[in-house]
Amino acid sequence: MNLLVAVVIGVLMGCGVLLLLRARIFPVLLGIMLVGYAVNLFLLASGRLGNTAPPIITEGGGPYADPLPQALVLTAIVIGFGMLALLVAIALKARQATGTDHVDGAEPREQGR
Amino acid sequence: MIMLAVVLLPLLGSVIAIILRRKSPTLLAWSVAMPVISATVLLILQRPQGPEWMVRYAAWEWLPQLGLEFALRVDGLSWLFGMLILGIGLLILLYARYYMPADRSFARLLALLGVFMTAMLGLVMSDNLLLLVVFWEATSVSSFLLIGFKTYDGTARDGARLALTVTATGGLALLGGVLLLGHIAGSFSLGAVLGAGDQIRASPLYRPALILVLLGAFTKSAQFPFYFWLPRAMAAPTPVSAYLHSATMVKAGVFLLARLFPALSGTSDWTMIVGTVGAVTMLYGAYYALWQHDLKGLLAYSTISHLGLITLLFGFATPMAVAAAVFHVVNHAMFKASLFMAAGIIEQEVGTRDMRLLNGLYKFMPLTGTLAIIAAGAMAGVPLLNGFISKEMFFAEALTSNALGVRWLEPVAATIAGALGVAYSLRFIMEVFFNDEGRAHPKEPHEPPMFMRLPGGVLALACLAIGIAPALFITAPLVPAVSAVLQAEAPVFDLALWHGVNAPLLMTIVALVIGAVLFRQRDRLMAWRDRLPTVEFADTFLVTLQWSSIAAERMTRRMENGSLQRYVALLLGAALVVGVSPHLGVPMTWPDAGTLPDVASATVFVLLILSVIGTVRTIDTPVTALVSASVVGLLVSIIFARFAAPDLALTQLLVELVTILLVLLALPHLPAMPKILRSRSRAVRDALLAGGTGVGTSLLAWAVLTRPPVTMSGYYLEQALPKGGGRNVVNVILVDFRGFDTFGEVAVLGVAALGVAVVLQGWRSGPVARRAQRNRLAERHPLMLTVLAQALLPLALLMSAFVLLRGHDLPGGGFAAALLTAVALVVRSMVPASGAPVPRTRFALPRVIAIGLLVSAGTGAGSLLWGAPFLTSAYDYIVIPLIGKVPLSSSLVFDLGVYATVVAAVLLMLERFGALTTAEEPAPDSDAPPLLDEPMPVAVLERSS
Amino acid sequence: MMAGYALMLPVLTPIVAACVVLLHDGPRWRRGVMLGTSIFLVAVATWLLIIADGGAYRVYRLGDWPVPIGIVLVLDRLSAAMLLLSAIVGVLGAWRASDGTDRAAPHFHTLYLLQLAGLNGAFLAGDLFNLFVFFELLLIASYALVVYGSTTPRLRAGVHYVVLNLAGSSLFLVAIGVLYGVAGSLNLADLAVRIAAAPASDTALLRSGALLLLVVFALKAAAAPLSFWLPGAYTAAAPAVAALFAIMTKVGVYAIIRTGTLLFGSEAGAVANVYAPWLTGAAVATIAVGALAAFGATSVVRMVAALLVVSVGTMLCAVALFTEQALAAALFYLVHSTLAAAAMFLVAGMVPTRESTRVTTGTLFTIGALAIAGVPPLAGFLGKALILQATPPDARGLWIWSAVLGSSALAVIALARVGMASFWEVATVQELHDEAPIRTRPSSGYPAGGALLVIILLTVFAGPAGDYSRRTAQQLVTENGYVQAVLSTQGGR
Repeated sequence: MNLLVAVVIGVLMGCGVLLLLRARIFPVLLGIMLVGYAVNLFLLASGRLGNTAPPIITEGGGPYADPLPQALVLTAIVIGFGMLALLVAIALKARQATGTDHVDGAEPREQGR
Repeated sequence: MIMLAVVLLPLLGSVIAIILRRKSPTLLAWSVAMPVISATVLLILQRPQGPEWMVRYAAWEWLPQLGLEFALRVDGLSWLFGMLILGIGLLILLYARYYMPADRSFARLLALLGVFMTAMLGLVMSDNLLLLVVFWEATSVSSFLLIGFKTYDGTARDGARLALTVTATGGLALLGGVLLLGHIAGSFSLGAVLGAGDQIRASPLYRPALILVLLGAFTKSAQFPFYFWLPRAMAAPTPVSAYLHSATMVKAGVFLLARLFPALSGTSDWTMIVGTVGAVTMLYGAYYALWQHDLKGLLAYSTISHLGLITLLFGFATPMAVAAAVFHVVNHAMFKASLFMAAGIIEQEVGTRDMRLLNGLYKFMPLTGTLAIIAAGAMAGVPLLNGFISKEMFFAEALTSNALGVRWLEPVAATIAGALGVAYSLRFIMEVFFNDEGRAHPKEPHEPPMFMRLPGGVLALACLAIGIAPALFITAPLVPAVSAVLQAEAPVFDLALWHGVNAPLLMTIVALVIGAVLFRQRDRLMAWRDRLPTVEFADTFLVTLQWSSIAAERMTRRMENGSLQRYVALLLGAALVVGVSPHLGVPMTWPDAGTLPDVASATVFVLLILSVIGTVRTIDTPVTALVSASVVGLLVSIIFARFAAPDLALTQLLVELVTILLVLLALPHLPAMPKILRSRSRAVRDALLAGGTGVGTSLLAWAVLTRPPVTMSGYYLEQALPKGGGRNVVNVILVDFRGFDTFGEVAVLGVAALGVAVVLQGWRSGPVARRAQRNRLAERHPLMLTVLAQALLPLALLMSAFVLLRGHDLPGGGFAAALLTAVALVVRSMVPASGAPVPRTRFALPRVIAIGLLVSAGTGAGSLLWGAPFLTSAYDYIVIPLIGKVPLSSSLVFDLGVYATVVAAVLLMLERFGALTTAEEPAPDSDAPPLLDEPMPVAVLERSS
Repeated sequence: MMAGYALMLPVLTPIVAACVVLLHDGPRWRRGVMLGTSIFLVAVATWLLIIADGGAYRVYRLGDWPVPIGIVLVLDRLSAAMLLLSAIVGVLGAWRASDGTDRAAPHFHTLYLLQLAGLNGAFLAGDLFNLFVFFELLLIASYALVVYGSTTPRLRAGVHYVVLNLAGSSLFLVAIGVLYGVAGSLNLADLAVRIAAAPASDTALLRSGALLLLVVFALKAAAAPLSFWLPGAYTAAAPAVAALFAIMTKVGVYAIIRTGTLLFGSEAGAVANVYAPWLTGAAVATIAVGALAAFGATSVVRMVAALLVVSVGTMLCAVALFTEQALAAALFYLVHSTLAAAAMFLVAGMVPTRESTRVTTGTLFTIGALAIAGVPPLAGFLGKALILQATPPDARGLWIWSAVLGSSALAVIALARVGMASFWEVATVQELHDEAPIRTRPSSGYPAGGALLVIILLTVFAGPAGDYSRRTAQQLVTENGYVQAVLSTQGGR
């Protein structure tokens, strides 16, 4: 189980990075989204995963999952959302100003064709 | 205090100059001269007396941690130099009054001269080596500004740049050396350092320290091979050249040799380096002086030569040599300054400094001529003049010394230098004032105003006086100076005109004869010289400077090539390297794979992985990729649910919704551009990085997951209900235990929204957008959705209220509720009926953001009133019909604030993004291709980064 | 604790002020609030500095929860100094922005104030995740400020700046995850204890976490090889914004010092001084990269940005030694170089100027150049001398010495070149200052002058300042002082 979770996190991170390293703004956006998922899962995982009950107190309930990482992840999700939104806005404006959606704001020199 | 006054008074002068800059030149000159005069008087009062030349100190703390004190001393050496600086300074002020054009620039000159004087005085009087360095660099900078005084003149700028480059760099070397000396001696106080001579010479750091210090001295005193800045510095106004670049500043280097003599001298290193450099400089300067046609050029090279002579004397390192050196410093300052003034007068009166255009001036300006002849005689070392006496002493030392290992070397070198000196002195006099070939001058020459002649005259007469009766005039100040240098009793030297016929006298005669011969043969020599290839070192240096700065610029662009991908790659690479490094060599203990996952989660995982890969594969078809990305998000939220994090699941789901919505709204404005094929190497690099980070993260996660849990969650679980008044621990943490995080987080969201508003403000979208807009309105809203949306809204609002209120006990809370509301509003507004894709809100969303934040802050601050810290919560239960028993806690109000801010923020974002598609006039990039779901066939190669 | 709520003020005031700004529009009002708040922050910071210099750590438990359950704000000499510094820079930036920059688009004042709030929060945070939150706050505000005015170069730079920092933030979270997963706490003091006590089996993991943190902070501090983003962003940004950003890199440096002494200090057992080996190399490399860029720079702004990088490298050289003397030197130099950079960004915003103001601007430039090049007589020189003095003359020392002295020389030469081009050969001014805004009112010289005045004061009163930084360093190297202070504070509930 743990191993599988770890693998999933890795895949998310790896593919996210792959997209992050692309030159166009759209792949970069999705890359950041994927990396965000990976990071959130990682953060959750730092509280260990298992067959536990949600940290909502009930008489005789438990064992409960570690609530702290969940809280952190929640904050992280929100912040990540805000960041992404602003990035999209800036990217749009840059796209409009530079006439290209290359992340460097300029088309690469035409080569080999 | 008096010493401080001496140092600072000239600075006061420059302040006055700036204030009175609009007044008449004469008044200006006087008002600046006054402080200088008073400083001179004060310094005279400070003159060292008593049998062992009592030294005066004054010190103020500056930066004790560094060992830096504002400590001044007046001993024989600093007094002598101080008098030179002030005395000649005064004459220069007078001279400048007549030399400079009577415009605003005169004030600037005076101001800068004042700054320089203070720096120079501080340099010679500082009792702390670090303080000395401070003033040292100050002289470099002020000299830079003075050389570049004629800012419009290219040669002046080059000269200034050259001087600064050489001297300032040397100053930094000096700083290094001084720090080393302080490190060895354990203090920067001059006394301590001079006392620790043996310790210093014994230290392993002696050699680096010596070299660094000498670098400082040699660059400043224009020693070979650093001499080349000095001739170029002649682009400065003549008063400046006379003052800085012959009389005072260039003497700072030899002053340093004198100051640190007891600490550094007395080793073979010292003798070899100082002696050799001095000798070479002396000959080199004299040789080049011979060929100059520009009067100031000749004087500059002769200055270099004389500085070399002084350095060589310090290289001899005998007490007598030191005495001779100090003596010659004084003499040189006098006759050279006088000669520069003469050159300036000639330039003013005749309109040129080129000896090839000058002749027979004596009949036009006999007085000036006579004075110049006296000074030049001193320069040549003619008897009856001060130059003669110090030259004699120098010859005597050269004969006895064996510094450079070869017995005959010094005497011969000395004689040659003397001969050359005679030759160029003769040239200066004869070609300018005599051998009248009836050449026409640019201007009709005549004597300058009396006061312009006066300063040079005073100096020339001084040369004469010292030359005739040295014992009378110079011994008194000289002896304490020498003993100050030696830190011991000065040697007994009888300065007299006539020592009888001895070897030095013979050398003088030889020099005079050869010099005369050289002068006679000058035309032939010139012809010979002109056949030689000439290389201007200064030019090459400047060019190199230019070139290397261009090269640096190129290299920088190469590294900092504006490619985001490179920067990201560097970041990830760095993270990867440092992240992996600790595990190298550490035996990897593979934890067991743990329990097998249940089928449900297994399928979820597999689906997730598949859809992730799907996203990457379809990245060139935006909409598809986006859809699969959203599937990923969905699955992630399922995983959250699976691992007992319902709040996360809920939030993730809603955030996902909004995110996708935003990107969808943005997509029409990101038309697919030609696909970028990465070069093979790039593809490999990216793959490696991606793989590396992926695997690395996996391993990290796995390592963490398989460790026995260490956590502090116990407290939260126990205290959430009793102290936080909520069953949903996560929510309690968010609004109470760690409410401050949430506060910050909400602020972030608010900024994000405002940022979006700012960035997208005044957006004008192109036809692309319009097309997209039409499509949306036309097709994208089946009736079903419309009805649904209509029906959903109230339900959703009710739902969100519920979620908000029960958030403390069940999954939910302000944030989830807010998203719910926002989404509902947006979905509702998606229907054609409402026109624009996003509701035109009636009230200003930014204000709502502000109010929400203020509410949260207010609840937090409320607790301050009860003396409890910020965000201290209090709660009670109340019963609301339908919803039931809800905890009405301050944290609920806090959550309300969060709710308001988040709704407003999200709506603001959506509003702005929605507004993108309400089109106005076409944008500049209206040629952008429309959004296609197939990648465009054309492709370009990514530039390597 | 009397001054308890005082710790809230640097964070809370600007946030509230930002909201107030939003509530009522009217440029004068908004500008007034911005200026007023930033000046008020100077007062608060001064007060806190006096409190902190008492020597005792001030701990503020938010929500009155016991340590380490709740979030704490901690005030010590270091954070107090940083607060004052950022407040001063804040005033300078606000002052400069008030001559029209803030009219280019709405919400400048709000963003500016929230940026200050983020900075102050980061300096006070006593909790790793809370530090992250405030990093994000100051970052997102800076994103909006970088692109403020939406000129093409700003947008272009903005995309880079945002994406790169988003990647950095993700790394930050991973690092937090690792540290929490292994040590099981977020409170810095508590973490320090747990890390020191961690079993040998956890060492490698902890080191990974620590070094990931270092990378994140190095990115913020613009240390090589993560420094290339800075010139683009800073040269594109408006002068007022760039001036404020002079403090931003120092947040990274601050975080390195804080975590490097507190979490991974000499008492951290197996992970003690985990930063040092990497940091020295990075620092020297940073100086090299920056000096090269400065030497080749073709405009004042570019040069200032490059020299900012150099200054970061210089102070990191000292930080990497993690000795009391070196940290003191680093702090002293940090204060000076921040002010110098801010001043020069303001001056750079003024060139090219009209004949009438050329002499003024030229003088400002000359003084600022002396300051930022770190040559006598201004405090930069003192700082560098302190750093060199704190560097033992060994192999590593040789590197640091040559880097620091060499870069200073290059800086002087380069500044002379650009300065001449800007003020002496007026012909070439235009082509030289493509990045810099042309129109400047003479009044826009006052903030720059103010900055230089502060530097001169720092130079004159170097003694007291040096003393303070020495005391600060003492506080830093006695880690358990912080730990004791935080862990021993009794929770109300």
